[in-house]
Amino acid sequence: MKPEAVKRRFFTPGIIVLIIVALNGLVFLAVRFFSGLGAVTNLDNNTPWGLWIGVDVAAGVALAAGGFTSAALVYIFHREDFHDIARPALLTALLGYTFVAFAVFVDIGRFYYIWHPLVMWNGNSALFEVGICVMIYMTVLYIEFIPVITERFIGRVKLRGIFAAINKPLDSVLRFLDKGLSKVMFVFIISGVVLSTLHQSSLGTLMVIAGGKMHPLWQTPILPLLFLLSAIAVGLPMIIFESLLASRSFRIKPEMKILSNLGSMAAPAIGIYLAFKIGDMFVRETFKYISISDTASRFFIAELILMIIPLIMFLRKKTLSSSSSLFAASTFVIAAVLLNRINCFIEAYTPFYDPTVYNPSFGEISVTIGCMALLVVIYKAIVIIFPVISQGRTQQENLP
Amino acid sequence: MRKILYILVPLVLTFFLVITAALPQSGSEIQEVRARNTPEKSQINKVHDDPAVLNNSNLKCKTCHTSEYPTPKDPGLTDCPRENLVSVYQSPKEGPESVAIVEMSDKYTGVIFPHRVHAEMSEMSTGCAGCHHYNTSGPILNCRNCHEKSRNREDVSVPDLKAAFHRQCMSCHKQWSGENGCNSICHKRKDITKDNITSTNISKTHPELPEPGKITWETNSNINKTVTFFHDEHIKLFKIKCTSCHTSESCIRCHTPKVQSDLNKPVKIEKSIEEHHKPCINCHYGNKCTKCHSDKEMSPFDHGKTSGWVLSTYHKDLLCSGCHGNQMPYRKLGTKCVSCHRDFAAEFDHKLKGFTFSEAHSELECANCHVGKDFTKNPVCSDCHDDKSFPGDIPGEKPGK
Amino acid sequence: MRNLNRRNFLKTAAIGISAGALGTSSIKASDKSLSEDRIGILVDTDVCVGCRHCEWACRTAHEFPACDLEEYSDISVFEKYRRPDNTSLTVINQFENEKNPLLPIYVKVQCMHCEKPACVSACIVGALTKLEDGSVVWDDSKCIGCRYCMVACQFQIPTYDYDKAIDPHIWKCDLCRDRRIRDKLPACVEICPNEALVFGKRSEVLSIARKRIKRKPDVYVEHIYGENEIGGTSWMYIAGKSFDKLKMPPLGKETAPGISEAIQHGIFSYFVPPVALFALLGTLMWVNKHKRGESDTEIESTDPDKEESEF
Repeated sequence: MKPEAVKRRFFTPGIIVLIIVALNGLVFLAVRFFSGLGAVTNLDNNTPWGLWIGVDVAAGVALAAGGFTSAALVYIFHREDFHDIARPALLTALLGYTFVAFAVFVDIGRFYYIWHPLVMWNGNSALFEVGICVMIYMTVLYIEFIPVITERFIGRVKLRGIFAAINKPLDSVLRFLDKGLSKVMFVFIISGVVLSTLHQSSLGTLMVIAGGKMHPLWQTPILPLLFLLSAIAVGLPMIIFESLLASRSFRIKPEMKILSNLGSMAAPAIGIYLAFKIGDMFVRETFKYISISDTASRFFIAELILMIIPLIMFLRKKTLSSSSSLFAASTFVIAAVLLNRINCFIEAYTPFYDPTVYNPSFGEISVTIGCMALLVVIYKAIVIIFPVISQGRTQQENLP
Repeated sequence: MRKILYILVPLVLTFFLVITAALPQSGSEIQEVRARNTPEKSQINKVHDDPAVLNNSNLKCKTCHTSEYPTPKDPGLTDCPRENLVSVYQSPKEGPESVAIVEMSDKYTGVIFPHRVHAEMSEMSTGCAGCHHYNTSGPILNCRNCHEKSRNREDVSVPDLKAAFHRQCMSCHKQWSGENGCNSICHKRKDITKDNITSTNISKTHPELPEPGKITWETNSNINKTVTFFHDEHIKLFKIKCTSCHTSESCIRCHTPKVQSDLNKPVKIEKSIEEHHKPCINCHYGNKCTKCHSDKEMSPFDHGKTSGWVLSTYHKDLLCSGCHGNQMPYRKLGTKCVSCHRDFAAEFDHKLKGFTFSEAHSELECANCHVGKDFTKNPVCSDCHDDKSFPGDIPGEKPGK
Repeated sequence: MRNLNRRNFLKTAAIGISAGALGTSSIKASDKSLSEDRIGILVDTDVCVGCRHCEWACRTAHEFPACDLEEYSDISVFEKYRRPDNTSLTVINQFENEKNPLLPIYVKVQCMHCEKPACVSACIVGALTKLEDGSVVWDDSKCIGCRYCMVACQFQIPTYDYDKAIDPHIWKCDLCRDRRIRDKLPACVEICPNEALVFGKRSEVLSIARKRIKRKPDVYVEHIYGENEIGGTSWMYIAGKSFDKLKMPPLGKETAPGISEAIQHGIFSYFVPPVALFALLGTLMWVNKHKRGESDTEIESTDPDKEESEF
C-alpha cells in the first residue's frame, strides 16, 4: 500500500473546537511573554520546574518515542511488514519534538538565548545533553521527513506570479534532495535511534542531580535506564493509539494485522520496564514508602497499576484481535508513562524548604492543552496535504 | 707646628667626647628594642611570683612555654590565649567609673561605657576575666594589644578590634527592637572623647539588689514536689556572701527585654539536673533529698526544731559562727552548757536567771541540784525540799512579804 | 580500538565529528582544580546577634533597593521563616534557644559555595562557574533562564526573577566578586559588628571552627555544618543546637553532582558508547537487510516508488 494524502474536509466541528482551545492557550502565552513566567505559572523559587517541563517536555519526548521505535523496527530490524506505520510515527515524532522544543522555548526565562547551548557547552550537564540531542534529533527527523515533501511536490511545484520563475530550480532542488537523501538516509535513521536512546535516558539523569529533593520512590541512579525502557515500552502502544485514532477519525479501516503484531511486541517491552522498576524498588527497599498512605505512594501505585493492566491485556490473544481492546491497552500504557513523567518531575519533587505544594495554574494547563490541540490540527493539515497515511480501502468503500 | 697641635688636640678631644657620648646612647636604643621583644626581668618576676600563678595547680611550664628550656632571651611562649593563666582580679572600686571607647573614632562615633556598674555586677558572674579575658596576671591589657584594627587581615583566629568591642557588649546586649538600634544606645550621635565624660554620662553605681525572702519551686516529681529555699536566712542568718552562690549569673535574669510581650514570660533557663542542684549541693553535700524536697512548703529555720535545742534569750542574739565557728557546714554541738561554756560551773552567776542563792546553797555542788548535770531544766525547790521544810521553812525573808 | 572505531565513523558520519568534540569537552570541564588558599567563611551562630546588617550590606553592595540601616533593627521580620530571593541574597532567621530563651539563635542563609557545586554541574550552558578561589559565580551573558540550577541545588539557593519577561536573572550570593576584585571583603563580612562571619582560607577557617568547638564544648554541638556536607562547602556553620533544628538540610558526604556526572560520563565516556551503539545498529541494519530483503537491490530506501514495487 502506498501512503496517500487523506481526502477529507479540513474544517470539521472537532477541528474548530481544537482551534479555540489552542487560541485560549495562545492568550496565556502572550501574557507569559509580556509579563514573565510568574504571571502565568504557579512556579516559585522552591518549585522551579512545573507542568511545562514535566508534561510538555518530559512526557512529550517520551510519547514521541514512537518515532525511533518504529524506525528501529522498520529499518534496522527490517520488518518491512510494518512499513505502513513508519510515516505516521515519523510525523507524530516530528510534531512531538517540535512541540517539546516550543515548550522549552516558552519555559526558559531567556527564550531569545535558546541557541546558547549550541555554542556554550557543559559536558557535565545532563540537560545540555538532552538539549543537544533533541536539537540534532529534531534536525534528523526533519531530514527524514524530506522524502515525504519531495514525493508530494516533485513535478508539482506550481508557484504563481513572480515566483513562477523559481518553479523549475525549486523542482530540481527537490529532485536532488530526493536522489541524494535516499543514498545517505540510513545514516540519519541510525543516528536518530542513537540520539533517541541517548536523550531519552538523559532525561532521566536530569532529576538524579536533585538528590534528596526527590521522593525516594522515584529517585534512583537507574532513573535514566527506567526512562529509556519506559520510552521504548510506550513507543509501540503510542503508534497503535495514533493509528487507531487516525483511522477512526478519517474513517479508514485500521490495519489490524500490523497493529496486533505491534501489540504482541509491546508486552515484552512493558514487561522489561516493569521488571526493572519493581526490581529497583526492592533493591533500594523503597517499598516501605508505599505502605505510608500519602499522595506520593498513591501516585506510585497508580503508575504501577496503569502499567500492569496493559501488560496483562497485551498478553491476551483476545485483546490483540480487537481494535477497541488494543486502543484501551495502549491508552493505559500512555497514561502510565505520562503519569510517570509527571511523578518524576512534579510529584516526586519535594524540596526541603517548600511551604506550598505546587499545583499547575490554569494558565499553565491552558498553554499545555492548547499546544496539544494545535498539534492535532497541524497533524490533520499535514496528512491532508502530504502522503503520510497508507490507506487500503476507505470504510465507505468497504461498506457495501 | 704648634699651631696645628693646638687645633688638633681639641679636635681629637671633642671627637672622642662626641663618640663616647654617642656610644651609650645607641646602646640604650638596642636595649629598648630588646625589651620589647623579650620580657623584662621585673615582668618575668611579676608573672612568676604572682600568687595567682603560684597557687594555680593547673599551671605548668608548658602552659606558657613551648620550648623545653625557656630562657629570658628566648622564652618560647605559646600563642595567646593561654586560658589557664587568666587571673586578673581587681575590686570594682579600683577600676575606672566610665571608659570612652574611641579607638575607632575615625570610622564610628565613640562609645561611653559605664564600667563600674558592669564591674560591680560582674562579681556575681565571671568577674573581671569575663571581659578582660585571657589577661594574664599583671596589668590589665588594652583590647588593641591583641585585636587588630583591620578586618581584612592574615590571622583571623582572633576577632578584629571592632568585633572584640561589639562582642563584649553584645554577647549580653543581644536584644533588638525598633528603638534599640545602634545609635540610640551606644553610638549616640555626638563627638565622644575621653574628656567629655561628664557628670551626666558618668557611670553610676548599681542600685542595691532586692533580696528575696522565701523562694519556693514546684518540681516535676510526683512525690515531694515542693522545694522551699530561705534566701534571707542564707544571707542574714548564715551570713553567706552573694558571690559564693551567684557565680555565673546572667544580666538578663533581671534585665528582661523591653518588649512588652516578653515581660510576662518568666525567664526560665533550661538546665540539667546537675546544674539545678549545683548552687545548693556545694554546701549541702551529703544531705538527704528531703532536706529540701517536701510535699508541702517548709517552715523557716528553727534552731529548736532542727537541733532539739531551743535558743534562749541570750543565745538568740548570737551569730551562728559565735558557737559553730566559721567553717560551713556547721557541726552539731553538744546540748549541755559545758559543751560551749567550758568553765561554766565556776563562772555562772545564778542572778542572771533571777535566782539568788541563800548562804545555805552556796556550798552546794552544781550536780546536787542539776541532777545529771542537765542544765537545760531549771531545778525547783521541791526537787530537794519536801513541803514541810519548804516554803515555810526558808531561812531569812518569807516569800511574798 | 577506540580510535579505530572513531576513525571509521568519522568518514561516514558527520555527527561523529561534533559528537567526539562534545565528549572531550566534557572530560576537560571536570578536571578543573581548586586553589589551596580558596575562601572559607565560618558563621559562628553563637556570636551572631541577628542585627541583620549583613542583609543591608548585601543589598547595598548588589544595588538592590535597601531601606535605612536603622530600620533593620526591627525584629518582627523574624516571626516568619525567610529564604533568600531576588530582593535579598542573604537573610537571617531566628531560632529558639532552649538553653536560654532570651538569647535566640540566629542563622544566616546564603549560597554555600559548594566545593563540588551541583548548579555548576547542572547548568546547560556553563553560566555558573566554580572559580579557583572557591566562589561560585553566575554569568549573565550565558544564562538562558532554564532554572535547572534551582532544581539541582540541594540548599535551594538560586532564585529567579519570575516577574520579568525580558532579561530575568538567576540571583545568588557571588561572595561580592566586584568588591573582592578591589581587594575588599564581602559586604556582609565587612559590616558584621561581631565578626560572626570569619572570612579567610578554608583550611584555616576550618581549624578555627574546630578550636572554638573544643574550647566551648558546652556551647557548641560537635558538628561543623559544611565541612563535609555534599563534599564540603565554602560557608560553614557552628551552632549550639543540632543543625536539622536550624532548618539546615540534612545532607550526606556524597557530592551532589556525583551520581549524575558518573552517569553522564558513563554514557559519554570518550563517546565510545554512542559510537558503539551506532556501529551495532548499522551492522544489525545491514545483516537484517540481507537476511530478509534479498529481493531488494537498493541498500536502503524510503523512496515510495521503490517501496511500491514490493507490493
